[in-house]
Amino acid sequence: MLLIESYLTFIHNHLIVCLAVFVTVIPLFLILYRKANVDPSFNLLLIYLVTKLIIDLIMFHYATQRTNNLIYYNLSIPVRYALLSGMFYFKIESGSYKKGIIYSIIGFSVFTIWDVFYSNPDIKDLHNHSMVAYATTVECLLMLFWILVYFYEVIRMLKIPNILTFPFFWVCSGLLLYYSSFIFIAPILHYTEKWENPLYIGFLNLVPYIFETLCLIFFSIGVWIFSTRYYAKQ
Amino acid sequence: MQNSDGLTWAILIATLAMLMMAFFVILFVMFYQKRQLHQEKKLHEIEKDYQRLLLDTALNSEETERRRIAQDLHDDIGTMLSLTKLSLNQLSKLVTESGIKEDQIMRKSQALVEETILHVRRITRDLVPTTLERFGLSAAIEEFINKLENSKNLKISFISNTEEAPRQSQKTELTIYRITQELVNNSIKHSQCSKIEINLHINSKIIELQVTDNGIGFDPDALRNNNLTGLGLLGIESRLAIVDGTINYEKPKMGGSKAFAIVPVVPATDSKPEPLHPFRRQRATI
Repeated sequence: MLLIESYLTFIHNHLIVCLAVFVTVIPLFLILYRKANVDPSFNLLLIYLVTKLIIDLIMFHYATQRTNNLIYYNLSIPVRYALLSGMFYFKIESGSYKKGIIYSIIGFSVFTIWDVFYSNPDIKDLHNHSMVAYATTVECLLMLFWILVYFYEVIRMLKIPNILTFPFFWVCSGLLLYYSSFIFIAPILHYTEKWENPLYIGFLNLVPYIFETLCLIFFSIGVWIFSTRYYAKQ
Repeated sequence: MQNSDGLTWAILIATLAMLMMAFFVILFVMFYQKRQLHQEKKLHEIEKDYQRLLLDTALNSEETERRRIAQDLHDDIGTMLSLTKLSLNQLSKLVTESGIKEDQIMRKSQALVEETILHVRRITRDLVPTTLERFGLSAAIEEFINKLENSKNLKISFISNTEEAPRQSQKTELTIYRITQELVNNSIKHSQCSKIEINLHINSKIIELQVTDNGIGFDPDALRNNNLTGLGLLGIESRLAIVDGTINYEKPKMGGSKAFAIVPVVPATDSKPEPLHPFRRQRATI
């Protein structure tokens, strides 16, 4: 009972942050409802949403208990990048870019592990665990690059008759807006998310959560217009 | 807690700039892709029109060449043969008195010349359907059927309502006539049929031509999928493409084959069409 009360209080106090957690259910449900996971990219999106929901709920629980939950966020970064860039592996047609995606996933995972150790010299001290210093910024840059490469291919190949009814365009647009909003905020999260002497950036702290919610809504639109019949024709 | 308003404002402005860029990228992709697709479609249409024009020119050249050959046959060879026949007639009178053997040779020569004249006439008519221009589609098709029925053990029925309808443009009539010829010839050559039915109906919008036979039939889909479509069928489709027509082939359950062509109605204009018959030769101006 006390736990539920603490959850409700947290939701009440951090509504925008919690919205980004719970809205995840909408595209997740829609992917299953529209059977969009027949497409390998949407299958990866489904895995990402499930992973995101689990990690977010764990973090939500620890946040209500006022326990440092940043280790989960740090661990989710390479998983998130692998799954989201993996979607582009199936959509981008150029072989060299596909190889680039694979190498970037491996390289980025190694880089994030290094960054976790670099940002936290005492890795066993979970109470004072900090966010990674560079990995999120690098993730933003890489993801923006893959999105732009995909858009370039869409324009060049002219295979999509109406882009507004093409599901992956909405997924890409959502990701583009999210990572664009996050790219300048990501480097300073290492200094803002601290127990002691954090950097105060006010409303900016909420911007990634707002755009995360917007991104999830864009995912939902993309999944909603997904048609298994259209996918079979492709 | 550290407070840095300057940094916050800098990040806010940078984030807003980045978001604007992202927004413009999305808009750019949407509009540029749409424009490119539109241009591609336009280019495709131009290409299609050009192909049609090429085909039209090729078929027109073919008809002109047919007319020229028919004119040459009629005016030159036909005239010369007629003169030969006259000469032979005169010679025949002289030879009759010489002996029986010479008379027989003479009669044989006369018969051969007469037969050649008939052949030349037939070839001339086949090359240019003069009946089509003078009396219209129905009469031309009927004449074509009569010729076939005379030469082969075949029953061809022709049902038409073209008598009530206005005359169609020269190109449309010629296309339908040539298609009918090709379809009937195909039935005779390949289907081993004993009966062919031709239905020609014209209403205010379309002309419907249906050629059905009771032969062995063919599977149009298999023919198309295996790229076995012969020159005849391709020729039909090419001719129809010029007049915006379409053709469908069916395999009726009771056997045989059925071809169903649709051509939009294009009534003949008042301007007199170029003569199809070979009897008017254009004089060259020197």
